[in-house]
Amino acid sequence: MTVVVGDRKRQRWVEVAREFWQARSGRIGVIILAFFVILAIAAPLVAGTDYINPVKARAAGLPQWGTPAEVGPLGTDHFRRSVWDQFVYGSRISLLVGLAASFLTILIGSAVGIVSGFVGGKLDSALMRITEWFLVIPFLPLAIVLAAVLGRSLLNMIFVIGITSWPSTARLVRSQVLTLKQRTFVDRSRSLGGSGLHVVRQHILPNVSGLILANTTLAVPISILTETTLSFLGLGNPQTASWGKTLEEAFVNGAIARNAWWYYLPAGVGIVLVVLAFTLIGQTLEQIVDPRLKDRR
Amino acid sequence: MTALLSVRDLTVTYRTSQGEVPAVRGVSFELEPGGSLGLAGESGCGKSTMANAILRLLPAGTTTTGEVLLGEEDVLTMKPGRLRAVRWTGAAIVFQGALHALNPVQRVIDQITEPIILHKTEPDEKAAEKRAVDLLGQVGIPANRAEDYPHQLSGGQRQRVLIAMALACDPDLLIADEPTTALDLMVQAQVLAVLEKLRAERQLSMIFITHDLSVLTYVCDRLAVMYAGRIVERGPSDQVFERPTHPYTRALAAAFPTIGDRESRMNPSGLKGDPPDPAALPAGCPFHPRCPDAIDRCRDAEPPLLPSGPAQEAACILARP
Amino acid sequence: MNARFAIGKVAGALVTLGFVLVFNFFLFRVVQTDPVATLFRGRNIPQERLDQLRAEFGLDKPLGGQFVDYLQQTAQLNLGLSYQSRQPVWNEIKSKIPATVALVGTSAVLSAVIGTALGVAAAWRRGTKTDYSITTSTMLFYSMPDFWLGMLLLVGGAIITGIFPVGGIIDAGSSRAGIGRLLDQAHHIALPALTLTLAYLGEYAIVARSSLLETMKEDYLVVARAKGLRDIKVRNRHALPNALLPVVTLSAINFGFVLSGAIAVETVFSWPGLGKATSDAIRGPDLPMLQGLFLLFSAAVILFNLIADLVYGRLDPRVRT
Repeated sequence: MTVVVGDRKRQRWVEVAREFWQARSGRIGVIILAFFVILAIAAPLVAGTDYINPVKARAAGLPQWGTPAEVGPLGTDHFRRSVWDQFVYGSRISLLVGLAASFLTILIGSAVGIVSGFVGGKLDSALMRITEWFLVIPFLPLAIVLAAVLGRSLLNMIFVIGITSWPSTARLVRSQVLTLKQRTFVDRSRSLGGSGLHVVRQHILPNVSGLILANTTLAVPISILTETTLSFLGLGNPQTASWGKTLEEAFVNGAIARNAWWYYLPAGVGIVLVVLAFTLIGQTLEQIVDPRLKDRR
Repeated sequence: MTALLSVRDLTVTYRTSQGEVPAVRGVSFELEPGGSLGLAGESGCGKSTMANAILRLLPAGTTTTGEVLLGEEDVLTMKPGRLRAVRWTGAAIVFQGALHALNPVQRVIDQITEPIILHKTEPDEKAAEKRAVDLLGQVGIPANRAEDYPHQLSGGQRQRVLIAMALACDPDLLIADEPTTALDLMVQAQVLAVLEKLRAERQLSMIFITHDLSVLTYVCDRLAVMYAGRIVERGPSDQVFERPTHPYTRALAAAFPTIGDRESRMNPSGLKGDPPDPAALPAGCPFHPRCPDAIDRCRDAEPPLLPSGPAQEAACILARP
Repeated sequence: MNARFAIGKVAGALVTLGFVLVFNFFLFRVVQTDPVATLFRGRNIPQERLDQLRAEFGLDKPLGGQFVDYLQQTAQLNLGLSYQSRQPVWNEIKSKIPATVALVGTSAVLSAVIGTALGVAAAWRRGTKTDYSITTSTMLFYSMPDFWLGMLLLVGGAIITGIFPVGGIIDAGSSRAGIGRLLDQAHHIALPALTLTLAYLGEYAIVARSSLLETMKEDYLVVARAKGLRDIKVRNRHALPNALLPVVTLSAINFGFVLSGAIAVETVFSWPGLGKATSDAIRGPDLPMLQGLFLLFSAAVILFNLIADLVYGRLDPRVRT
């Protein structure tokens, strides 16, 4: 029995993967993402760690505001640091925080959604009340307030973003669970004596996982953009370089007035590309998982 | 006496990514003033398509050929302005699925006065509203519900609103597309009674479309059965129902219980198999794969409508008077 | 409109606001264990004076008592003193409200109108180049950090071409008054408003487009055509009012985003509003200011959500009955 189910599940995922690759948007998204993931992983190979150390940079004789023509490949900034190094290492933070925060968002959101939808009753009302509250409150001021209070660190950043983004996932998952609950196979399983946990694991989870996966990939862009904004506003860890921090330093040190485009353009372009990649992947997944959406294109 | 509606060799083809799909393949019939024709068949046989084709309401991407003569004019070749003028005043449609056929954010009375005001069949707005309330009264909906929104009414009430709406401009022809399908038996009977009453009072010509044969015998003088885009049997409704000569009609008649006849409810004989895919019709007679009486010759050619009884025709080589 | 519906919504908004107040109070009590010490840090003040101040501020009371004090003070708009300026927080905030209202108001309206128009255009020409270019360009803008887009526009519109000013709300040292002053302010608001509008119209375009595509499948549109209405009338009178309902709901959510977006965008353009005040307060961190600003932002979004809910109730009869 389990072998058949297992095979069918694997077959389903293979099908999903194939359908995904056939969609042009999915292909483009994956290719862009792969590029940046490889860049982030291979950071030590393609860039140096002197990005944070102005003393070393000065000692190496690098100029201030060096153009890419003078100092390849992306020139230097106000502190004589290599912009390319900052770009490459910044990709790590953006990807890391984006994924980790999204993971947290999805974890909390799905847990709340499944429990709320499945258990129902007073617990459901209470959890939905909390969710509603989070949804109405403007998330950025909330994130700012939390970050200011908790202090600047990478972990706090991940926590803050995760905590402010889970409600929409919770709501989505809950409505899916409610729909599933009405289907007969859940009732049948329960009448056969299946405990709540068993029903959730065997029937609810497999049917919600597609939705959760699609939602995760769409949550990453929000996480990345939030991290960028929070870093731009000075709430990131001052020790680590992220794309948001690069933009903040560029702005504060007058890169705009100096026309030092090599300083503020790459980080922004990087963010746009990574966000686009995840959005394309997420949209493609969503269309595969929810066939009703296919008509929308 | 000239026919009110004269359909000649009507053909409707859809353009899809898989090529051309014929939904209606050469349908012809006539309707006299005050006459009523029932059109029966399973879903997908082309009856709704045909109904929509009469007023040229099909979506873009469909090709319609043939003639649809309303009086002397051919609807299919009318200029857009004339077509819009004829719509609802010459012929009106009662659509199926009443909840979706009504605009959810518009009051019921406004949906009825809209065509009246558009076609100026009443001198002013007040007169239009009075007429709308009258019409609602005739279909059994009290005046105090006129200002309601569609979702506030029951399914049966909504269906009756559609009927009142269709009569707003006093059309000569009423096309009712599955008006009772989604309703339960009690409400079905009510709606049928309303239609019959209105037909008698106004000398209204009617085309009544359904997949439930038993309903048709109450309201219609004549009956036509459609299959795979063509008429496969027609004749006086009592006759066709009691003495079906086409195997498909026989199966249809047996599949639905007659209203009030308990015994027929105990023994419905469902048709086996599925309706044919219009894009891939079987060779010869399209019904032969599901036909209990099929013989080898049925695969050769599609039979035309041939006399099978007094004033009755059937497209079957085995149906002889 | 149903009074019960309205009262329910207002009550809900008040409850949400209540939770914000509770949250605000406890969050900052967690950090500000000794506000007096923080407020007067760096100054040489004897211990008894500090204790006296603590008693004055009611900090020697139990937490419940402090919360009541907090509620009373907030009701009287006493939001504490800014760490950075030593001025009452409310005074600082009050002076900056008009600038942000102008910027966010303009951008929210523009993004809604332009975004929806683009979405409708894309849906109406579905599958064509217009549709494709609208959907891709809105997705592109949506993927940019709003402040980065602001920086690009700043470079293009002010630094390189010199058409628009580099920042602020009026030219420094300018003594213009009346219309001249207004024009100067309009000149300065152009780039930041353009930034916020472009960054946030994407969601409107997507929702309007998909909503219209869904609506165009509805049967009541065919009914409207059958009544004899021209296509344009069908679209404007029947399709759009239904299709635009989700846009109303969206405007409530989007307002929160535009308001939040103003924080970074005002910083880029040195726009003297609440957003820039937030950005400055973060540098401190000026906790009383942040607390007050968070309260104001939340209240504004809650109020806007309430208005949008009530407007939606007015437009969609299915919700309020």
